[in-house]
Amino acid sequence: MKTLPLILFGMVALAQWAAPLMQIWTHERTLTQGTLIKLKCTAPDPYDPLRGRYLAVSPVQREVTVPKDMKLEAGMPVYATLTPDANGLTTLSTVSLTPPAGVTYVRLKTRYVYDYDSKAAIEWPFDRYYINEKLAPEADKWFAENIRLKDGIVAEVRVLNGRAVLEDLSLNGKSFREILKERVSAK
Amino acid sequence: MNSSHHRWLLEQIPQWETDGLLTPEAARTLRARHAVDGSQPSAGQLIMGALGALLIGTGLIAVIGYNWDDFPRSVRLLFAFLPLLGSQVFSFRVLQQGETAAWVRETAGLLQTLATGACIAIVSQIYNLGGEWPDFLFWWMLLSLPLAWLLRSKAAAIFYLIAIAVWSIHQTEHGRPWQDSPQLYPLLLLGLLPYWPGWPPKTALSVSVRWVMTVSAILGLCSAAFFVSMRNDRYYDFMNDEVFTWLWSLTAAVLVLFPLNTAGMAESTGRKPQVVLGSLWLFGYAVAATFSDVGDHLLGGVLQAVKLPWCQGLLVVLAVFVVLAVMRRRWAVLAIASLALLPLFALPFTPEKLESTTILSWLVTLHLAAIGLTLIVLDFVGRPSAPRLGALVLSALIIARMADSHFSLLAKGLIFIAVGVAFLAFNLLMSRRHRQLQSSTPAPALP
Repeated sequence: MKTLPLILFGMVALAQWAAPLMQIWTHERTLTQGTLIKLKCTAPDPYDPLRGRYLAVSPVQREVTVPKDMKLEAGMPVYATLTPDANGLTTLSTVSLTPPAGVTYVRLKTRYVYDYDSKAAIEWPFDRYYINEKLAPEADKWFAENIRLKDGIVAEVRVLNGRAVLEDLSLNGKSFREILKERVSAK
Repeated sequence: MNSSHHRWLLEQIPQWETDGLLTPEAARTLRARHAVDGSQPSAGQLIMGALGALLIGTGLIAVIGYNWDDFPRSVRLLFAFLPLLGSQVFSFRVLQQGETAAWVRETAGLLQTLATGACIAIVSQIYNLGGEWPDFLFWWMLLSLPLAWLLRSKAAAIFYLIAIAVWSIHQTEHGRPWQDSPQLYPLLLLGLLPYWPGWPPKTALSVSVRWVMTVSAILGLCSAAFFVSMRNDRYYDFMNDEVFTWLWSLTAAVLVLFPLNTAGMAESTGRKPQVVLGSLWLFGYAVAATFSDVGDHLLGGVLQAVKLPWCQGLLVVLAVFVVLAVMRRRWAVLAIASLALLPLFALPFTPEKLESTTILSWLVTLHLAAIGLTLIVLDFVGRPSAPRLGALVLSALIIARMADSHFSLLAKGLIFIAVGVAFLAFNLLMSRRHRQLQSSTPAPALP
């Protein structure tokens, strides 16, 4: 029996564990230690062939104002300062090319830069919320009923050192998952 | 001859010995020459093993897709890692045992590949990770690649080849950094080299892997050519068809001239997909270039393409392959590959304003005609050749020339009929000639 293939195999097996474990570690850390922010969003219901049903989460704010002295290009990462408003919802205020100190911020990717009005379209680091396929049809109905409400659907996101992890969706402060479970069991 | 031919021959030997057609010594020689590599799995074994692994793997992915909402995160994470651990233990046992049946290695390789994908998928589902599916595919294929080398798994190699091609096609959006674009494809392809060690390689790749590898290389390299030729005027992306068409042709020439060892050169053309597919593109490209407007368009593209580092890299690789092909006297493939380089020869004679110059059109027409005639003449002087391909090239050339000529419709029709009749007559003549050659050559005496 040759030893080298077994050693190499051990390294491959470790790498196959390390990649998802790294993701778990960074996301668990953000979920447990991160600051909770709330973003108003929309959430239609598509399907991923590998990971099942999900709601495509899209925060309402998709543009930021670019400071005049900042040279920003499409694809570049930016750090946006998060500011809560009177309703407890969070908005992106200023952007910078380096992490700001002493404030809660999130790392975003620039999609386009509009020179004519000093604005840039940004890409949020989360875009989906997976749901159980039993709850998915109910989620469709719930979404159709609530999308036009003034309060709208809120994405609850944990943020730590610029990394954002989507924790839950809610309506009027109530967890989306709980609302759906109640609706399904009431039938 | 593929392994099924060898197996058939070996099955016949005992009967031929009994019938007195073969001496025991001749039978021994034939058995040694046509020995079948027992480590190679039969198609049935492979298909059954792959099917089993696929069913288990896709079952796992479907179970994950259900999204077990009622379980806490830690339990759901166990779902991700247990199948991966199980498949790793299985592969480890296979490796530990050393000489295991090939279908077992294939099953282990495919199962672990799918378990790896399922593990990444469930983790990204649990944490609602964003990102596009190509990002997921990228990490999946990289983490599965070593299984192709270690388990000598054809299934894992094929998965990797398909995955890198699909990933490259998706990354053609303008403005991506090179490491996130199809320009990474050559490096990704090189990642498979340990699966096929040594230079020249000690073992030949199976025909199925060759075809998948060739198609993957075509898709990956052509995606890179498409990517580098994109233009952007700040708000809109433009495809530069005249640039990437020539880059695709250079890629085809590189494929056609891909260096082969003596055994590889002796194989039939059908077992060399890079030659078949590359030649098909180059002949199509050359016939199109015989039209003067297309030729002008392509020349314009060449002027832009030569400034691109990707194009310069392709030309360097092509130059190396040309030298190697000359050393091995591969004249036929050199003639076909040279079609891609004709625009470079036309450039010095091209006026500054490219409007209605017919230089490339004439050059390609003459070159194609020379190739067609040579292929026919070589056969008549008894050298190995492809006379029917020669006739086909000449016919295509005549039809193309007629299409943009100013002859009347009646004249064109008559010429088309004449070409058709000549083609059929030539085919008949070649069939008769080959029959005569076969009947005049005595059957080889068996030792």
